[in-house]
Amino acid sequence: MSNRFGLPELGIGVGLRTVHYDYLLEHWPSVDWFEILSENYMQTAGRPLYFLDQIAEKYPVVMHGVSMSIGSTDPIDMSYLAELKALRQRTRAAWISDHLCWTGVAGRNTHDLLPMPYTDEALSHTAVRIRQVQDFLEAPLLLENPSSYVEFAGSTMTEWEFLARLAKEADCGLLLDVNNVFVSARNHQFDPLAYLDALPFDRVGQMHVAGHTDHGTHIVDTHIGPVVEPVWELAREAWRRAPGTPILLEWDAEIPPFEEVHREAMRAAECGWRVDA
Amino acid sequence: MASRRLNHDFGIPLAGGTPNAFLRERASATPLAPAEERPRAPHARAAGTPVAPPITTSLRALQEWFAAAVMHPVSVASSVAERPHIGDEALRVEDVERVVLPSDQLSGLERLEIYHRAYRARLVECLADDYPVLQRALGEDRFEALCHAYIAEHPSASPNLNFFGRHLSDFCRTWQDSLSTFASNLAALEWAIVEVLHAAAARSLSLEALLDVPTEQWAAARFVASPTVRLFQFAYPVNTYFQACINGSNPSVPPRGESATAVFRDGPTIWRMDLNRPMQALLASLFAGVSLGDALDRLVAAGEMTEDQAPELIGWFRDWVGHGFFASVDLSRASI
Repeated sequence: MSNRFGLPELGIGVGLRTVHYDYLLEHWPSVDWFEILSENYMQTAGRPLYFLDQIAEKYPVVMHGVSMSIGSTDPIDMSYLAELKALRQRTRAAWISDHLCWTGVAGRNTHDLLPMPYTDEALSHTAVRIRQVQDFLEAPLLLENPSSYVEFAGSTMTEWEFLARLAKEADCGLLLDVNNVFVSARNHQFDPLAYLDALPFDRVGQMHVAGHTDHGTHIVDTHIGPVVEPVWELAREAWRRAPGTPILLEWDAEIPPFEEVHREAMRAAECGWRVDA
Repeated sequence: MASRRLNHDFGIPLAGGTPNAFLRERASATPLAPAEERPRAPHARAAGTPVAPPITTSLRALQEWFAAAVMHPVSVASSVAERPHIGDEALRVEDVERVVLPSDQLSGLERLEIYHRAYRARLVECLADDYPVLQRALGEDRFEALCHAYIAEHPSASPNLNFFGRHLSDFCRTWQDSLSTFASNLAALEWAIVEVLHAAAARSLSLEALLDVPTEQWAAARFVASPTVRLFQFAYPVNTYFQACINGSNPSVPPRGESATAVFRDGPTIWRMDLNRPMQALLASLFAGVSLGDALDRLVAAGEMTEDQAPELIGWFRDWVGHGFFASVDLSRASI
């Protein structure tokens, strides 16, 4: 176990998507683990759980959320957290992750992963909330670096400085999304290796790779298509720093058959996953 | 998914089950917005041009300003123009880059527009997932216009999108469009699929339990509806239209004509069952808590059923119970 939280090294995983339910339940393919989108199985008592229960019975599952809104200045939504905690008990998820972002304010939810300003105020605010959340969930929270399309003029530190300090102050884990580092590096013209160099890899419990869409003027994190070579190269750099960290492929638009998604995820093994430093 | 037929005497064929493609997915990805390429905003500034000092404001003020810009129904520039301040600081459109830096390719305003487009694109995508046939009926542009109006009227206040679209049928009814009633009916049918999908499966009344009800207690029996069933009476034959779309044909919007449909979940599969008028009226009364005897009396009094149709009831109940329409039967008010 290479991370300080003792999280299991699950291997190479795939994001569980509804279009693959029938295939999975018919073929039960050999897959190391699945990541579920937590909100897809919350505020429901019906069919989504019918499938999830069967998947969680056969495979290790981790939970990845998009609505914790950890950086928001609205109060923490305790009913959301309670449901999240119950879902973890139901799935026996190895860990819970969400994003370094906020999704809404003043009672409104944009359902987007909105960017944080990298300031001392935002750092303290978010660190306190992470501690509250971890105490409530009684589980380590892995916080993912988001893709972003803006930089705030008022930021006083880089994203990687912010993330490293935040992880330490909140004593939380990190989910390193390699594609997001690549996307943000292009959008904000920074060196992605400088980003990796600054991260406390002993706190990285999981990584993501995904496809994206290049608009020329900027890149959008669409999770479409296969992972491009430069992202695999960056992933290789990350694996040198944390060999064997569980890696997961996200594919959320124009999703192909499961075998193709799994094959793309397994490219990680050919691209340097589990390399020694 | 192929439709299946029931093997019974008074059968109403079940319209096809709902395939997995109708289940929506929420993800952390940013959706591709339809108008990703736009002309440069008038306030675009060449990279390297000095900007005025950054505006430093509280996290709260920054988030309120940002959210207002992202959620504005027209554009970020319109939001900034209508709300020319951030916290206590004045902020004009020309000064946006004192808050959001430009890149070497995009102005601060253009960068904000990426979030503005993604906000509505994500919610339109969510509504399209819940209302695929309505989208098809209205066409892309008309559906998107409907969604934009809906999003402005019903912004999300929940961390979960599962029920974001719950007001759309009512919203369509007030929509100034020649198809408003048809759209409202179709939206109600599609929303029932969403509701039934998420409803808890209750233990349902078994055929054996039904047959155990003593004959003399039938009239006083009250049937409790299952949470996985929804019942509708429509002004248009929307279930027929829905099925035609599912089958891959390209039907025109049908003329007005009353129809009735039950939407229900049987195991993991969601089904739709067309009902004739007496069936719908009887189920509606039973679901409202009326005893079987009173419900039948109402049907007969309304001329919707004759006494010699009574034997058909057995078949109806066999179907309904077989598909889990009832959670239980309450005999507490029956005389023994």
